This record gives sequence, structure tokens and C-alpha cells, in this order.
Amino acid sequence: MSSTQCTDLGRALCIITGASRGFGRTIAREMSGLVKPGSALVLTARSGDDLRSLEAELAESEAGRAGLVVECVVADLGQMEGLGSVVRASKEAFSEDIDHVILVNNAASLGDVSRDAKSFTDMAEVDSYLSLNVSSSLCLTASILQAFPQLPGLRRSVINITSLCALQPFRSWVLYCTGKAAREMMFRVLAEEEPDLRVLSYSPDKCLYCPVQPVLTIGHCIVPGPLDTDMQKVARSRTADPSIRKSFSDMFAQGQLLTCEASCAKLMKLLLEDSYTSGAHVDVYDL
Amino acid sequence: MSDINSTKPRTLGRGICIITGASKGFGRALAHKVSHSLEPRSVLLLVARSGTLLQEMKEELQSFTEEQQLGVHCIAVDLSMKEGVDEIVRVARKEAVNEIEHVLLINNAASLGDISKFGSFTDPNEVNSYLSLNVSSPLALTAGILQVFPYRTGLRWSVVNLSSTFALQAVPSWVLYCTAKAARKMMFTVLSNEEQHIKVLSYSPGPMDTEMQKDILRLTGVNNHPLPCQESVGKLMKLLLDNDFSSGAHIDFFDV
Repeated sequence: MSSTQCTDLGRALCIITGASRGFGRTIAREMSGLVKPGSALVLTARSGDDLRSLEAELAESEAGRAGLVVECVVADLGQMEGLGSVVRASKEAFSEDIDHVILVNNAASLGDVSRDAKSFTDMAEVDSYLSLNVSSSLCLTASILQAFPQLPGLRRSVINITSLCALQPFRSWVLYCTGKAAREMMFRVLAEEEPDLRVLSYSPDKCLYCPVQPVLTIGHCIVPGPLDTDMQKVARSRTADPSIRKSFSDMFAQGQLLTCEASCAKLMKLLLEDSYTSGAHVDVYDL
Repeated sequence: MSDINSTKPRTLGRGICIITGASKGFGRALAHKVSHSLEPRSVLLLVARSGTLLQEMKEELQSFTEEQQLGVHCIAVDLSMKEGVDEIVRVARKEAVNEIEHVLLINNAASLGDISKFGSFTDPNEVNSYLSLNVSSPLALTAGILQVFPYRTGLRWSVVNLSSTFALQAVPSWVLYCTAKAARKMMFTVLSNEEQHIKVLSYSPGPMDTEMQKDILRLTGVNNHPLPCQESVGKLMKLLLDNDFSSGAHIDFFDV
């Protein structure tokens, strides 16, 4: 394993789902600054407006002005046409110079965290949740790997944006925990099957709720709070468990949520160092 | 070592026992065994797709169940359909009028799915359909039955999730099965954390001489040296009768 850190991700094709907001949007911004000229980003989400504003922002950035290609695909990844459109856009954005294909499976939903497992009597609701959070990432990953098979000189990295909820159960979070646990296993199987593929399950935050204890890492002081996104906003207003809800609200009120930028910096560091064990679960606080 | 304080064999009480995937393999063997541990005026709900096989089972059990005053309902439905789950809940609801002491729900029905390389799963319909049967259905069924029999004092509630070592171990070419088993394990653990009055057990039955195992051999060439499923059923019964497992635990055949 190399101990020298790369300063860039290569001439890369980066495909990012759920890129319109939150962590996905930050990943798009950060990655755009770490890829070499001749790279391309394929950004997908269901919301066209948010994607287009991101596209415009990236076009104006240093990378954009240096020629970074940005393709936005408005798609529902739970449908074959949606998947197809992302794969097509990726193939079009690909060029012979590309030496790294990076797929970031970031798109996800929280599910209704105000209800206990015993309330999920409607199969359609559960099916719909699993379709977005599990099936679509399996099928997109499979399709991208088919479209960009293993070739000499081509690195391929697959990232699964995960959570502590993949490993630990939380009351009233049955859908989210189940989906994350499913995805984590899914990507572990992929890592077992494809030793040449780099597979990372990255958890952008760690504690659902915990006492405040700042963690020092590379000069940054990262407070162990949840990630500051729209998803967290929903979580802190809707979680059924009153102590978890209070904990979230307190952390928000005290400015203790972790910024997407701080967490994304850690993800970029992991990708640049490229020394993580394929299939492993790594979170923002792991040193 | 005999318990000198016990004067009668342990039982599961007067219960309603629902077993999915009851027409073959482990589910069928379990139905036979469970019926011997249920007290008079208990009810057995046997669920599978095949009405014929279920009817055959009902007949096999007939003389015993009549003698022991056990009601047996055969519910021939497809668990991947909402209507299938709803039908089971409907039948269970009719039984709710009777005083029962124990609700025992065995989520056993499952499918292998296509055992293929990850890269082959490009069709969301295939994956959705698989997850619907193997993940959504047991959640919706468990929730539905919980609604029919809410906890009250004196009511024992046991939920079993038929699990696998593949819930813990990532096995190449088994992405669908591993993913669903891992999902179910988490799902039932969350349930156990939420419901203090329910005992939830994820039971990994070990390799058994069932049609599923024959399919595995045919599809993968792997011989898992299966054991008779009665042995595994026996261990599950012991866990349920001893009833001292921690709720939410994942217990393997080889650990009992």
C-alpha cells in the first residue's frame, strides 16, 4: 500500500446520485476540484432546478472554466428509463483519456421516522422505500459496472453513502436502518466478488445522538454531531423517540451539526489515500 | 438433567401460530412439531402458495389436531402481493375473538433469488420483486398481526425471523439473498428494541435437506451437507419452549 497521498483523483468520470442537495451537492463541488482536466461529472437527482443551479455554479468554478464537463440528468432511479438515462449520459461523458470511474451512491430517503415498525402494514410503502434506497443503487451500480468493465489502466471506485444506522438499530427508524443494513451487505458482496474494484461504505456522520466531545483530526475540530442537511431537519422534527428528537434539536440549537464540507473533506482524503479495505465501513471519525 | 419441579411438559400455551412457507421444508416440519406443543383450542394458520400441499398437510395433521382440539386454517396466498398479506391478517382477526395466551409468528417463507454476479442485476423490477417478497412482506405481515393482537397482560408474543449465516457473511454471487437476510436481521432487531413485550428471534437454521437446498446444489454445485430439517426444527422448538433467548438475538443452529 502506498503511503504517498495523491493530490487528485485522476482524469475521472464521477457519477453522483442525489447530487442536487445536501451531502451529494457537496461531493460534486469537492470532487470537481480534485479531478484533472478532461474529467466529467454526471450529476443526477429528481429535482431539475436544483441540479441546474449546481451545474451553473460548477461551470463558473475554476474547474469549470478549465473545461470540466458537467452533465445533469433528472431521473427517477427506481425506473428503468431513469437508470438508462444516467448510464447513457455516463457513456457519453466518458472519453478514452478517463483513467478513473467513480460512482457515488448517495441518493437516499429517511422514510417516516415518526412511526414504529408495527405501523408498517402497507407493503406498498415499504416496497417504495426499498426501491429507492436499495434496488436503485444495486441496479445503477450493476449497470455502470457493465458499461465500464474492468480494463487495464482504468480504476473503478464505488462509494456507498451509509450511516451508523446500517450497523445499529434505532427505534422508529426501521426503514432507514433496514435500507442501510441492506446496502452495506450489498456492497460487501460486491467487494468480495470484484477484488479489482474499490468499494467504500462511507458514513458521513456517526452519532445519532451522543454527549458532546470534540474530536481532533488533522487540525480540524470535528464535533460529533449529525450531518447538517435537509434530511437531518426532517429527522429532528419527526423522530418519534423524544430523547433522540431532543438531542438533535439541542445539537442544532447549539450549532453542533457537522457541516457537509467537513465530512466531505474526510471522504476525499479516504479516496485520495486509497488505502481503505474494499467493502469496509468507514465513518468520518475513524482515524 | 431433569427438572424435578416440573410435573408437566412445557408447552407453547393456547396459542395462535402462523407459519409462512408452511407447505414444504422447514415450515412444514415446524408445523408438525409445533402442533404437538400447542394446547387445546389453539389455532394453526398455515400459509403457502400451494393450496393443494397445504390441504395435504391439514389432512396429515387431522387426526392429531382433532384429538387435541387444534384448529387448522390453510391460507393459499402469494406473500409478494399485498392481498396475500391482508388475507392472513383477515383470517387471524377472526380468531382474535378467542382467548389466546400466545401469538407465535414464524416468518419462514423466502426465496433464493437469482444466484448471479452483482453486475447482472440491472433490472429494478427483478430486484424490487425479490425485496418485496423477502423483506417488505415479513414486515407488513408482522405489523398486521401486531395490530390484530396488540399486547395485553397475559399475552405472550413471539416473532421468529428465519435467518441465515448469509445475513452476516457476504458471499459472492449471492447479493440478493445476503442483502435481504441482512435487511431482515436489522428490521427484526429494530422491532425488538421498540416492543418490550414481544420476544423476537432471528434463527439461522443451518443447512437442511429441503428443496431449497436441492436448488442450491443444482444452481451452484455446492453441497452444504444438509441435515434433516427435523433436527433444526427441534432446536428452534427448544429455544421457544425454554424462552430464555434475548429478544433481538440472532441464534444459529450450531450454537444451540
